[in-house]
Amino acid sequence: MEKAIIVKNVSKKYKLYKKSSEKILDLITPKSYGEDFYALRHVDFDAEKGDVVGFVGINGSGKSTLSNIIAGIVPETTGSVTLNGQAALIAVASGLKGDLTGRENIELKCLMLGFSKKEIQAMEDDIIEFAELEKFIDQPVKSYSSGMKSRLGFAISVNIDPDILIIDEALSVGDKAFAEKSLEKMKEFKSRGKTMIFVSHSISQMKKFCEKILWLEFGVVKEFGPVDEVMPKYEDFLEKYKKMSKKEKRKYREGAIKNNSKLKTTTI
Amino acid sequence: MKSVITVIKEQIEHFYLVKRLSLYELKSSNSNNYLGMAWEIINPLIQILIYWFVFGYGIRQRNEIPLENGMEVPFIHWMLAGIILWFFFYQSTIKGSKSIYSRLRMLSKMNFPMSVIPNYIIFSQLYIHLVMWFITVVIMQISGYPINFYYLQFVYFLFATFIFIFALALVTSTLSTIIRDVHMFLNATLRMLLYLSPILWQISGIDDPFIQTIMKINPLYYLIEGYRAGFFGLGWYFIENWEYTLYFWAVTGMLLIIGSTIHVKFRRHFIDFL
Repeated sequence: MEKAIIVKNVSKKYKLYKKSSEKILDLITPKSYGEDFYALRHVDFDAEKGDVVGFVGINGSGKSTLSNIIAGIVPETTGSVTLNGQAALIAVASGLKGDLTGRENIELKCLMLGFSKKEIQAMEDDIIEFAELEKFIDQPVKSYSSGMKSRLGFAISVNIDPDILIIDEALSVGDKAFAEKSLEKMKEFKSRGKTMIFVSHSISQMKKFCEKILWLEFGVVKEFGPVDEVMPKYEDFLEKYKKMSKKEKRKYREGAIKNNSKLKTTTI
Repeated sequence: MKSVITVIKEQIEHFYLVKRLSLYELKSSNSNNYLGMAWEIINPLIQILIYWFVFGYGIRQRNEIPLENGMEVPFIHWMLAGIILWFFFYQSTIKGSKSIYSRLRMLSKMNFPMSVIPNYIIFSQLYIHLVMWFITVVIMQISGYPINFYYLQFVYFLFATFIFIFALALVTSTLSTIIRDVHMFLNATLRMLLYLSPILWQISGIDDPFIQTIMKINPLYYLIEGYRAGFFGLGWYFIENWEYTLYFWAVTGMLLIIGSTIHVKFRRHFIDFL
């Protein structure tokens, strides 16, 4: 089967500076200043066409960073990402301009995604209908509720018909009816053989929808496999993690990070 | 040099996008006002009035300005010919400088190159400038400075101004994304530049030829004097001052090369600087 996403040995390093003067020095002098922080370390995974992959992990495990890298928003520090087709990221804050009306935002966003005037006109009605905004479509977006905003963002991203869809916590905002409708739409995508990545904290949604799960822990792939293999392990871990005291949690985190940084030296 | 070609190609390929986005830019920045886009014209007009009152009526005591060919023109006409270009330059440069970092979050996942961003910001100011220019032409026409043959050089000077602003915006937008202080510095410098350009007072009135030459380092001097030569029919400014033309294009070319090089080099990592 054809691969849709190939993520090869991707790491993402951020620099933590204590002072802003360190930032400048780091920029202009060859010497390195500031502390390195790895949001992702040597992540390898690939998805075949038509796969629905869920990203799970506790807060700060690098799920959003990875989805942003796949979507091409954030550049990776090392490694490579190969995409087979166009990717669209749906996030709650999906880049809508508050001063413009919903209709204008639709045109603006589609324009920026590289659609022509005719294509946009053809899509506009579908988007408006899907977003269920009715009269509000000609009101400025800043007057929208957060649910309305994410509905509009979702409707645009879905209707531009991307090959790869990345959904980052976007479905947790709308009401149940809209979430159902979106899931319906995604099922339709799935049947048409589109690749999807799903980032969510809702385990039930994941179970219902995903085929594969990528479990990230502090920037490292802990497990990657079919949903019924990985998900129970993740749930067990969550149970255990919840019960830990603050001190234990910290100890666990430090231990994991230490292990992970060892990983770096061995794989190189 | 390679990056210059890349950047210019990107502008040509995405011209339709630039046109549409620049209109949206104007619309969205004025959607809160009842008078809407009219403010883009009203605002500079108010400023022109106050400058005219302070500098023309107050400081200069309504004296006329002598031009090179011995002609004398009222201060308001003289100022108008230069200040409309200044407004275009000032607004585009300020907005161009912050164009990338203020929009990056929204624009990072889009299918167009980032070099288009400063361009469409400048483009949205160009519409305003054209309206201002037209108003100035009408004022000149009814007050005895009719449209003349030398108006043809406006095509050249408008083009030169646009390229100059774009080259400058490429440099400043990249630098101010990386180091935000650059924008603040630019803000302070530009305020000074208004008084160092022949807009509100006549620099050629200074006796010292050395200082006059120093003042001409400022490329705006060239553009503004070119505009005046057009409005008052003084001659083909860019041919008569061909050395100055060469200097102007050398500066613009340098800016374009530096701007494109750093822009292309850093643009993939802009988001990391936010």
